[in-house]
Amino acid sequence: MAKKRKQAYKQTPWRRQLRSLGLSLIPVIAIAVVASLHLIISARSATAGLQIMEMHYDEEEILRQIANQRTELGWITSYREMQKRAKKLGYAVIPPEELYYIQIPGYKGKSSVLIAPPPGIDSGHTPLINDFYQVSLFDWFSDTFLITGSPSSGVQK
Amino acid sequence: MNSRGFSRNTLIGLLLTGLSSLVILQMVHIQNSSQHQELSRWADEEFSFAIENYYPERGNIYDRWGRLLAGSEDVYEVGVMLQYVANPVSIASTLQGVNDMEYENILAVAGKEYDPKKSIYAVITDFLPSGVIDVLSEIKQDYEIENPYGRNEKKPSLRGLIWIPHLKRSYPENTLASNVLGFYSFRDRQEGIGYYGVEEYYDNILAGTPMETYMPRNPYLLEGLPEVPAGASLVLTIDREIQAMVEKKLDEAVEEHEAESATAIVMDPRNGEILAMATMPRINLNEYWKTQSQFKDNTPYNRAISETYEPGSVYKVLTMAAAFDSGTVDEETKYYDSGRFEYGGSVILNWNRRGNGEQTMQGCMQKSLNVCLAWVATELGKEDFYNYMQAFGIGKLTNIDLGGEEIWPLSIPGDSDWYPIQLATNSFGQGVAVTPVQLATAISAVANDGKMMKPHVLKAIIQNGQQYTTAPQVLSVPIKPETARKMTQMLVKSLKNESSAALVEGISVAGKTGTAEIPVDGVYGTEETNASFVGWGPAENPQFLVYVWIERPKSSPWGSIVAAPLFRDIVQELVHYLNIPDETVQWQLMAKEGLE
Repeated sequence: MAKKRKQAYKQTPWRRQLRSLGLSLIPVIAIAVVASLHLIISARSATAGLQIMEMHYDEEEILRQIANQRTELGWITSYREMQKRAKKLGYAVIPPEELYYIQIPGYKGKSSVLIAPPPGIDSGHTPLINDFYQVSLFDWFSDTFLITGSPSSGVQK
Repeated sequence: MNSRGFSRNTLIGLLLTGLSSLVILQMVHIQNSSQHQELSRWADEEFSFAIENYYPERGNIYDRWGRLLAGSEDVYEVGVMLQYVANPVSIASTLQGVNDMEYENILAVAGKEYDPKKSIYAVITDFLPSGVIDVLSEIKQDYEIENPYGRNEKKPSLRGLIWIPHLKRSYPENTLASNVLGFYSFRDRQEGIGYYGVEEYYDNILAGTPMETYMPRNPYLLEGLPEVPAGASLVLTIDREIQAMVEKKLDEAVEEHEAESATAIVMDPRNGEILAMATMPRINLNEYWKTQSQFKDNTPYNRAISETYEPGSVYKVLTMAAAFDSGTVDEETKYYDSGRFEYGGSVILNWNRRGNGEQTMQGCMQKSLNVCLAWVATELGKEDFYNYMQAFGIGKLTNIDLGGEEIWPLSIPGDSDWYPIQLATNSFGQGVAVTPVQLATAISAVANDGKMMKPHVLKAIIQNGQQYTTAPQVLSVPIKPETARKMTQMLVKSLKNESSAALVEGISVAGKTGTAEIPVDGVYGTEETNASFVGWGPAENPQFLVYVWIERPKSSPWGSIVAAPLFRDIVQELVHYLNIPDETVQWQLMAKEGLE
């Protein structure tokens, strides 16, 4: 009787085959998922690496272009060129007797050239990524739950 | 049925497992074989990293108002990748004439045989501007369309020809301030250094730090690349407009007086800033390799700091300042000028070989009497005289921030080359040698209430995106402020009384002429002279000091005739650049301010 009941609960062979197939496929699928993730991340990091390299070359080229254009501007505005242009436009050196001076209250004369800001002035750089997003889970955990109850707070008491 | 199926499946499984195991085994075997390790090491060494050299951009040089004096320009090196050259003849015929290159020379380079170990790339030429490269690029593309990959040997092809960009030093002002700037030997791309002037003195700062780095070829390893900071840029105290004006005046004076050369320094005595420093010859800094052909017979690159000479009567300013400061003489002191002064077994004569009777110190300076100044020096005493001269920096480097400064040592009592007569001759600038910058610096103490400021051309440094302004430095305080003011007033009067050619309308200037005979084989008396003038103003509040020196003028040997008018011409324009209105306008402005 007991034997018969046991048999009544026995699963069909195709179900058992399916289950064993499923069980044997789990590690394969897991490996495939991990491998895919690895491949995706590897591919992305390789792309990022190549982009870094490209951007580095771009940066070099841009810096070269900036230097070149600054020098070109120097040539265009050189003393000789400016003299030529002024002459062409009909300007002439003012005779001393035609000079007219006026007093401007508060004006202290032409100030020194500032090509870059002096030290001490905030250059305005802010971090690209907020600090909050750079904290690891471990750091957050230790900062929140461990350091709060650290002995130092006890000493202060 | 089941047992047969199971055994068939098992068999297939075992077979596949066996095959897979064999493949894995072979992979492990290959991975661990000695050949693999050798190959892996070779690949790592050869291909995983590349050594890249980063040369930072050389810093720029600006004038005091930010106008570019030296910068960097984009140019190209043109060469051939020998492996890919399809038609050397078309490369040679296309590049013929570019940079003065000859057909045969180009053909010899482009036709070189490719050798993977020895000969991969060959340089044809360098420093081609981007305009030429644009043309070459167009031609190359056209040829490539007509003859893809250069397969048809009968058709032209520039395949294999490449160009690599890099920066080259460029001087937009060509010759302007060339003696101050110096130059960078940019044609030597690996070992280029700065020569003379600012380029030499600040070479390390301008050049930055070249970096050699391992660049991974494996993109996984590329996390970031080194940042190579550019060399620091410099802002000079030089004013381009004043420099150009002074150079023009010097050229005109040399032509007018048929002189060998002329030198001028314009400085601010209050802080030692050099506003202009001009001399000759001047070279086009973009063609610096012609320097040797232009500076013949040991001609110094910058006479203002490197050529020592006997200054003559301008030196009397220092002697009289020392005597006034020590209390040896004052405004009331009288001296009877007989035209002769005997000292140390020698006779000192005036420039015109005549006596002038009783003179005050004012008269001695105004008439520039050698005899009187020799007497003043002997009254001062050798010890005090030379102490003062050393305090004025005579015989010492000014340490101006320009490469190539020279001095002539000052002989003092006790030295083997010092004789008693030198006390008398030195008093009027004979037997003592100085550079123009040395004398201008010394005399600037008289113009600046006794304080001698260090002459300098650097106003600010721009490094890592920030501008650091330099602070003026006091070299020494050789005389008291009262002495300096007395001397200035005395020299203002001198110029007015003698109706000097140095007088500038509307601006009160103090100054002194100098005419020094040039000794030939140690003998004075030739017609060749060094004519000079030093002056400063406005006398009440000196804002400029101008020193001019004309070497061997032929039209007249005298400083008063040759150098004084040059000083006037320079100052007449200088005051406008410095926004110094003439005295009448100043009085009007002050009166207006008083009324308000």
